[in-house]
Amino acid sequence: MELCLFLGCNTPAIRPDVERAIRASMPELGVDLSDAEGYVCCPAFGAFPSTDDDSYLASSGWNLSIAEAKGLDIMVQCGSCYSSLRMGRDHLAHDETKLARVNELLELTGRKLECKTKVRHVSEILYNEVGAQKISQTIKKSLEGLHGVVQYPCHTLFPSEIVGFEESPRQPKALRILTEALGATVDTYSRELQCCGGAGGFSKSTPVEATAFVKSKLDAIIEETQADFIVVSCITCLMYLDNIQKKLNEAEGTDKYHIPVFDYNQLLALCMGFDPKQVASICTVPRNSVIDRI
Amino acid sequence: MDFSESDKDLWKAIYNTKDLLHCFNCSTCLSGCPASHGNPPLLVRNLARMVVYGLEDDLLDDDTAWACVSCSRCEEMCPMDVKPFEMILSIRKWQSANDETRVPPSIVEIYKRGYTQSVGTNTELRESLGLPELQTITKMPEMLKLYQEMLMKTPVVSENDYMFSEE
Repeated sequence: MELCLFLGCNTPAIRPDVERAIRASMPELGVDLSDAEGYVCCPAFGAFPSTDDDSYLASSGWNLSIAEAKGLDIMVQCGSCYSSLRMGRDHLAHDETKLARVNELLELTGRKLECKTKVRHVSEILYNEVGAQKISQTIKKSLEGLHGVVQYPCHTLFPSEIVGFEESPRQPKALRILTEALGATVDTYSRELQCCGGAGGFSKSTPVEATAFVKSKLDAIIEETQADFIVVSCITCLMYLDNIQKKLNEAEGTDKYHIPVFDYNQLLALCMGFDPKQVASICTVPRNSVIDRI
Repeated sequence: MDFSESDKDLWKAIYNTKDLLHCFNCSTCLSGCPASHGNPPLLVRNLARMVVYGLEDDLLDDDTAWACVSCSRCEEMCPMDVKPFEMILSIRKWQSANDETRVPPSIVEIYKRGYTQSVGTNTELRESLGLPELQTITKMPEMLKLYQEMLMKTPVVSENDYMFSEE
């Protein structure tokens, strides 16, 4: 199958090793990717979706029209991009007035939107289209002997009616099953479904409280599991859970927080034998403890 | 609390759906909400009350809607289908429309280069990872101009056009 890759901002700008991991691993599983040339910000919830529907949905429409012109569905890794695009599409697909208004705006740019393109998350493609079995059969190395914990991206779970793909959004399993397909043992813990808290204004406007919030999650991982790594499938979860550990250590005068964090496609690409320097090189918490054992 | 000055129709201006009136303050929206741990906390149920009661001045001054992380747990869990996340966005839209200092600076970045940050300029790093050059809108001036012209027809950009000038 072929999909239109929507990269967003953070992945190509700050963590392009994740982009490399996605571009390397997906075609190996029969998922070819076509770039969304000239895409714009998804738009981020703190931007146009917080000002007015016209600018929000016109930007969604702009992005959707790029994939629609190719006759492809969109694939996204970033949780916020996925949710913003998918909610934007939902507004346009179910409200003729909104779609007509967006087409009035898009017409100025020579575009037209029929709203045929669907928005899909990379973990959903891996889970539903590729499947755990094919992943297990394709990889050359495995995570056997390693324990991981999963951070589910909230934006792929809630509201399940619009963005969801799990059988039960309150008991998600896709990322766990995908990680087990790489040979890892996935431990569960009490705060598994707690949001990382890294998106939106929370971590910026009240950093002390936000740090205490994510600390409760990391403490649960350390106390309740044998986790060698945290696996995520959202660029915000990745950057936040990775970077906050150093800040926590500095604040508490400890080195307690040192759990490597990986995007799922990075672990997948590593198990396929791709060069760690290309697919998993940018991090705050060193990843050698995991990479050396793959 | 003095309700004599309150605007009973404020909810229609902010979040015109009867769903909101079904809120009975059960607080399910706070369960699992990261920003409810903030200081001051984001208390979604309180915001719903303020909208329904029409407390216009208090609501204009309230920053907490901007602390929302958009995880949408409240949207999923609300037993009365109030759609609290939609309400949060609606409060932000109403604040932005009534107070230009609320307009997020990130939209100016998006207008100017298509993104909230500099995408595709880390050429050396991208090359070292074996990545192709990105076809960003920033590198396509004619296309960026079309996007800007389209945005200029939307309320937030046309009403605050001074924020988007080249100077």
